[in-house]
Amino acid sequence: MGLRSFSLRAFLKKNLDFIAGILGEVGLTAAIMAVAFAICVLLVLIKSVV
Amino acid sequence: MIPYLTKEDFKVIGFNLCRIGNVLGFLLLVPIIVAVIYKEFDIVPHFIIASAVTFILCNVGIHFLQTDKKMELKHALCLAAVAWIFCMPLAAIPLWSTGTTGSYLDANFDAMSGFTTTGLSLAQGVDHLPYSINFYRHFLQFVGGIGIIVVSLMILSKSEISSVLAFKGEARDMGIRPNIVRTSRIILGIALTFMVLGAVLFSVVAISEGANVGTSVFDGVNYSMAAFSTGGFAPHSQSILFYHSTLYEIVALVMFLIGSFNFTFHYAVLSGKRREIFKNIEIKTVFITLTLSTLVIAGLLLYFNVYSSASILFRKAFFQAASAHTTTGFGTINSAQIAGLWPSAVLFLMSIIMILGACANSTGGGIKAIRVGIIIKSFFREIKKALSPSSAVVTEKYHHIEDTPLTDTIARGAMLIALGYVILFVFGTTVTVLCGYNASNSMYETGSAVGNVGLSSGITSPAMPAPLKITYIFLMWAGRLEIIAVLVLIGFVILALRKGVRRR
Repeated sequence: MGLRSFSLRAFLKKNLDFIAGILGEVGLTAAIMAVAFAICVLLVLIKSVV
Repeated sequence: MIPYLTKEDFKVIGFNLCRIGNVLGFLLLVPIIVAVIYKEFDIVPHFIIASAVTFILCNVGIHFLQTDKKMELKHALCLAAVAWIFCMPLAAIPLWSTGTTGSYLDANFDAMSGFTTTGLSLAQGVDHLPYSINFYRHFLQFVGGIGIIVVSLMILSKSEISSVLAFKGEARDMGIRPNIVRTSRIILGIALTFMVLGAVLFSVVAISEGANVGTSVFDGVNYSMAAFSTGGFAPHSQSILFYHSTLYEIVALVMFLIGSFNFTFHYAVLSGKRREIFKNIEIKTVFITLTLSTLVIAGLLLYFNVYSSASILFRKAFFQAASAHTTTGFGTINSAQIAGLWPSAVLFLMSIIMILGACANSTGGGIKAIRVGIIIKSFFREIKKALSPSSAVVTEKYHHIEDTPLTDTIARGAMLIALGYVILFVFGTTVTVLCGYNASNSMYETGSAVGNVGLSSGITSPAMPAPLKITYIFLMWAGRLEIIAVLVLIGFVILALRKGVRRR
């Protein structure tokens, strides 16, 4: 009965802030890692040129 | 006038300490579930005995220390400091009795390391420990991470004074909600949400890398608890390196970076205030300091030809820097490589990063990003003042959930705590050097203990001298309590002793 009345749309709408918040925090960690990787690539490139 | 602690005050502290101990008694029974699942029936009595000892001791204490006097701030501060010391020897019982550690002192070391989410360990043969014991080690970090006192208060008390205890003792100075029960539930809810997500991700990655389902799920749960708690214990002696998987390391990075964020920040972002991600002083500070650390450490390791490719630099230099900065302690290189391969300059920088620490009101340790941010802002404010005409009024503010003016009192408080950490660091390094270890390794190890990190240069081992083990237990405890609560406790004890002497 519980599963039949379950609506994904309603669930997402109700918990939009929560889910977006989790994705936002994961995105923040991804940004931190992307910047760090870019630094590593840049340093290796500089060393290969110098 | 500084308040003395009377006999009645000691009764209030002791009474509430015993009530917290009762919670520990229940928590000591949780690993029995794992022991039964994995048919480790010979381990069950160890947890039952530890739990029974805790219950008997605490209930005898409650019987003799029964009091109607309400908790006050002075009681709360002392209780926050003493609770860790009180719980440590009780939590150490199963570690010692099962032979996980070589001695009872080593078991106390691991219990304190677990509670303070440090991750330094003296456990022997981690790869061959029973499942229930391995779970117990990580469970200690989970309990310590979200605050053993918050857990206790959620069960024991509903009074408003509880919030003082939960947030002052560990400098968790900004309650999410005024009611402690609601606050505790929110903290638990946030922590459990991320931990379940982490356990699923760790398990899926391990299975996709070819590990068997049972081990993957067990490791996933343990790594998730340790990562979100920024703890650093691992079910394998090689830590996160066991899986040799970049994806596994990335999941760990995501988990411990999120674990190092402020619970108030989590609550704001998860309830719709997503702009906080871009405005919060702590997030900005962590982003800047971690980026700069990565730049310098990766640059030095490249310069000294330790590593040569970008992907290895990311997996070794950035991972270690992030693990140190968030005070987690997971490693993708072993302690022998750190001590043997990494230049002293990098070890010194890593020691500083470890002391800077994670965000306040998080599971992490160290000075905390909000204080580092405030100190940097104060520094620039002073420069601005010096450059401005004498009649000019220079004001500065910072954003943490709301805009707050940066006053001299706030700046002084941040600097005092930072100074406390520096004193602890110097003290610990001196003791380690006196025990015969070299200076750079000593700084690294001390930074790890004071900042509740868990990375090791190899000093922490069952063979280290007993006085050094005791020193590190003290450093982990004082570092977790951010020194002030420890100083308050010492102050009260000295005052009580002096009063006792005067009476005689």
